[in-house]
Amino acid sequence: MFTTLNSVIGEGWRRADDRIGLRNHVIAFSTVALTDRTTVLAAARVPGTLPLCPAFQRGLRGEDAALQKRMIEAVIAHPNVGAAVVVTHDRVAAATLLAACEMMGKPVIVVALMAQAGMQAAQDLIVGHLQDLMGRVADSPKSRLRLSDLCVALECGGSDATSALCANPAIGRFVDQLVAAGGTAIVSETAEFLGGEDVVRAQCLDPLIADQILAYLTTENEMMHTDGTNYRGVNPTQENIEAGLSTLTEKTMGAICKIGKSRFAGALDFGEKPAVAGLHFMHTPFFSPTSLTGMALGGAQIALFAMGVFNPSGFPMIPTVKICGNPRTLSEWPDAIDLDVSGIISGLSDYDDAADGILRLLGEVANGKLTRAEKWQEGQIIIPSAHFPL
Amino acid sequence: MKQGAADTGARLSVTAHENDNVATLLDDRSTWIEIAGGITVSAGVPFGHKIALKDIVEGGEVIKYGVVIGLARTSIRSGEHVHVHNIE
Repeated sequence: MFTTLNSVIGEGWRRADDRIGLRNHVIAFSTVALTDRTTVLAAARVPGTLPLCPAFQRGLRGEDAALQKRMIEAVIAHPNVGAAVVVTHDRVAAATLLAACEMMGKPVIVVALMAQAGMQAAQDLIVGHLQDLMGRVADSPKSRLRLSDLCVALECGGSDATSALCANPAIGRFVDQLVAAGGTAIVSETAEFLGGEDVVRAQCLDPLIADQILAYLTTENEMMHTDGTNYRGVNPTQENIEAGLSTLTEKTMGAICKIGKSRFAGALDFGEKPAVAGLHFMHTPFFSPTSLTGMALGGAQIALFAMGVFNPSGFPMIPTVKICGNPRTLSEWPDAIDLDVSGIISGLSDYDDAADGILRLLGEVANGKLTRAEKWQEGQIIIPSAHFPL
Repeated sequence: MKQGAADTGARLSVTAHENDNVATLLDDRSTWIEIAGGITVSAGVPFGHKIALKDIVEGGEVIKYGVVIGLARTSIRSGEHVHVHNIE
């Protein structure tokens, strides 16, 4: 247990906006699919850089276009990013993006592919910038990291009976301690709150927040039940069903354990930043790479991921800590799991032990230990869209 | 949370809430017809799957975590496997 509620757990990089990064990534970020190949080839030549090439489209409309623009800026501004080479196709996009990045207080170089001449020359230019930035961030000073500096994404995947008994409630116990220490947590996947409406009503700081979350649930419920399709087999997924989960409500009641006894302090749209500390709900699709994208670009510097049966999800810029209580998964996928909480089933350990284990691991990860998902370089940036592009 | 002990010969099971009419089996001894909480369990129920703790009538509520997680499509007998084939 904690000796001090908001004790120092490690070190991180304090940014100009006062957020603190657990990583100091130099990213090679391609903002449109046209520039992905050149960007990934350049990043491969500079060890230690992180390529981000999410195959973004042109021609998005309305809110889809606005969301993509906000998410591109959120990637660059993310506290785990120390410096960035950002690649656009045209010159106007480069100039616009450069203006948007000026106030971020970190080295950002924007390259327009159309302003170059030749595939090789363009790649070489990006390589030169990446090498320069690697040198510039190499000795960045670090600051003390406290629980109150953390924004933690809460995720689950491959849900099964053990997720509900071990990993999710273990995360919930940690979240209660994080929130008590002034930290922030985001939980998402709207579909996996369906059937948990009573829990939402009982665990909000303000009835208005409950109304906002329940409005998201109503939208989701209508989506799932008005088009004549039976989504059993989609969510719960085929692997959830194989593992023993029968209905979405059964899955929800396990997933919802991630919030512990904490009360919601806010309800967020996809990728929106929490305005205050505490537990937040975020409206996202249930597919874990997409929901992780929303929470990470909302500012989460790290994710806690409850795994039942195997699920490889991660997010490229944030360490994703995989926590598992299923003995078979632990035995078959040991190279994909960071923390074993199966002792809760056998009675060898309890939720407090598991929460202590999570806290200890967070400190190690903050101080540079790579998570399994980081070692495999797992993760994607996936932004949902509502409309067919132009 | 109520757990059956593995060393009594019973299959390891957990009942999440006192009002539940299903329990979750937490071991791999699925070829055995064993006893969980005094109930005869159907053979072949895998790890992580549910069995009925009492008879459930067709259309009856299936309760886990103290909440209704689904309705029985057919009548389900005590000890029988409870899953997508008989609840929705």
